[in-house]
Amino acid sequence: MTALTERQQLAYANAQAADGRVNLEFETDEGMTLNMGPQHPATHGTLRIVLKLDGEQVISCEPIMGYMHRGYEKLVEVRTYPQVTTLVNRIDWLGSFANEVPFILAAEKLMDIEAPPRAQWIRTILFELSRISNISLFVGDMALHIGAISAAFYAFRDREYVLNQIEAATGGRFHPNFDRIGGLKDDLPKGWIADTKATMNKIRDFCDEMETLVEGNEIFQTRTRGIGVIPADVALAYGMSGANLRASGVDWDLRRDEPVGLAWNECDWNVITHPDGDSFARFWVRLQEIRESTRIVDQLLDGLPAGPIMAKVPRIIKVPEGEAWVATENPLGEMGYYVVSKGGLGPFRVKIRTASFNNIAVIPWVTRGVYVPDVVTILASLYFILGDIDR
Amino acid sequence: MEETPEAPAVDEARQAIIDKLTTELGDAVVGSHIQPGHDVWVRVTREAWRTAGLVARDQLGYRYFEYLSAIDWLPSPFGLSENSPTDALPEASTEIVTGHGGGDTRFQVIARVHSLSQKMGIHLKVDLPDDDLSITSWLPVFAGVNWHEREVHEMFGITFAGHPYLRNLYLPGEFEGHPLRKDFPLLARLVKPWPGIVDVEPMPASGDDAEAEAAEATETEEAAG
Amino acid sequence: MGLVESGKLPKPLTSLLNTSRKYSLWIFQWGLACCAIEMGAALGAPRYDVMRLGVIPLPASPRQADLVCISGTVTDKMVPAIRRLYDQMPDPKYVISMGSCANCGGPYWDSYSVTKGIDQVIPVDVYVPGCPPRPEALLEGIVLLQERIGKEDMAARWKGDPIVVS
Repeated sequence: MTALTERQQLAYANAQAADGRVNLEFETDEGMTLNMGPQHPATHGTLRIVLKLDGEQVISCEPIMGYMHRGYEKLVEVRTYPQVTTLVNRIDWLGSFANEVPFILAAEKLMDIEAPPRAQWIRTILFELSRISNISLFVGDMALHIGAISAAFYAFRDREYVLNQIEAATGGRFHPNFDRIGGLKDDLPKGWIADTKATMNKIRDFCDEMETLVEGNEIFQTRTRGIGVIPADVALAYGMSGANLRASGVDWDLRRDEPVGLAWNECDWNVITHPDGDSFARFWVRLQEIRESTRIVDQLLDGLPAGPIMAKVPRIIKVPEGEAWVATENPLGEMGYYVVSKGGLGPFRVKIRTASFNNIAVIPWVTRGVYVPDVVTILASLYFILGDIDR
Repeated sequence: MEETPEAPAVDEARQAIIDKLTTELGDAVVGSHIQPGHDVWVRVTREAWRTAGLVARDQLGYRYFEYLSAIDWLPSPFGLSENSPTDALPEASTEIVTGHGGGDTRFQVIARVHSLSQKMGIHLKVDLPDDDLSITSWLPVFAGVNWHEREVHEMFGITFAGHPYLRNLYLPGEFEGHPLRKDFPLLARLVKPWPGIVDVEPMPASGDDAEAEAAEATETEEAAG
Repeated sequence: MGLVESGKLPKPLTSLLNTSRKYSLWIFQWGLACCAIEMGAALGAPRYDVMRLGVIPLPASPRQADLVCISGTVTDKMVPAIRRLYDQMPDPKYVISMGSCANCGGPYWDSYSVTKGIDQVIPVDVYVPGCPPRPEALLEGIVLLQERIGKEDMAARWKGDPIVVS
């Protein structure tokens, strides 16, 4: 290492020493403390988890968040209604379109207007497309955390097809910002329906592929079956939702049980549940949900009603006084907006109830006593997105 | 206060919730509001907060915890801050007007519980007096309330008696203030005009004067026409 | 060696070294927010395939990295960690700031918890605008950085201040 100057050698030694100091800090009276994050791939962003270990087993676990806290609830108070959708797109950044919908619906509920049927159907289609793009990434990601990298490549490949469709319809690959109060910004482009149907076939092939490649893999099954079991009553008390709840055997899906005006009730699909409540069940439920989503999209494309895509709304949107709560079944679980309006141009207060915040509250409970490598699979299977936790 | 005139249908299921809570809690239910077919709000006294949660969970079967948060009903002294920072702030009223279910104080804690079998939810509200922003924790009622109470403590400065670990959830330890209070200023907005005021910046070639003249000319034309 | 630091390296040798450096960039991914997914698509997805540009994604540690891509919203709570990992990278090191949030705060320009621009903390070589930028935009940023590395006077880079880890 003669290439290093004296100064560089000194810097290298400094860096080594700094790491030594950090490791010393982690040693405490009881067992050992292991710090995971805030930059760890299993945390989908920047969650930090401090684990207290006894040998290989976790005694206690303390998630530390806030590394992605951007202050949505405050910023929303100083923005007008049309500006808010730009902002809330970025809460759960993998299923952006799904974030806009409950907020727009809450504003529409307060204004007492309803989007025309065609707009509702296109909203539902885009909602399901964002669910597919979100969960297909999860499928590859979960396999990645268990050590299978090829599934991640396949997931990224097939996800691009869905993103292409979202981009073709909305103009935005990632954050469409396509929803307007009273309808949608634009109608679907020409040829989009046939393209989307072809994409749905590709996604179904992707599901088959993942079932053999990941789900049928013996190592995957050993690493996930019986690991991180969450019983139904615990899941309910923690307010878990979405696939995490359904994987615990609770037959609950807001799309079916509390429809909010979108078109899910118009087609035939199933709510997928699994009785086990372990990591495998959560993976399996999500994978099946992609399949159901493709079915929903296919049926909606077949029966897409004609008509306008925008209801009559005033040019300057003022929402009358009132309070409204609207929740939808987002890719990660239940996402709800509690909108308080005082009749102004912008909302007075918005409480954003995000799925991941409640879903990962269970981490200290579920990781107690598990082995360190299983922490990664449990975190991956709970599937959270940091923007959705920290807001 | 009970229902809106254009929706005369009485929501019996939601009325039954209010009745049940009233029989269990007595005078502690101080306000209620029903949006037929949509939602119900029940406001209870501060002393009955935990009992209300227990009644909802055990006797009404609302076992699914959705969220807990708070509302600061003080009108914001800064408005939308869309003006230039040199302009005077809009005249702020300090009149507190609360929403559904009524209320007397600036801070209200709000929580929502849900029943998967009845497919309904209840919004529970409680008033907090300004001089004593504290309330009993719901931790024994719903396990999931833990982080929500920490969040409310950090964002509004409301203390939850019986919560063992009210540490900052989001912000670094040295952060001062409670951001979601209405009197917490967003400093970036106060020192810099909102970039969206200027929709299109003037082209470099055309000076401001030329533009103003052109605008005047069109105005006079319109007035003449 | 010593020639590199002295700045007396003959020109052909400099350009040879620069060429070899610019086509073996190890990029340390710092996925923070939305942009991280687009960066993942650029670095890990078959469609964009960053390796054809001579960029090797995802080294195990910042000590093996030449380039860090700050992709996403930087919050005040995150800044110390970023500074620390940046300090751990060996010189010469380059920074790409990806997305409006890392550039200037982006849609959170008025937030109370977001750092308005990562360039307040670490020096940035390439800014990639967009919210989030498409993977192609990130690739262009990398190509621009490579152009710059190709023209670089190595002595200037190597005479930089030493790494100090507090």
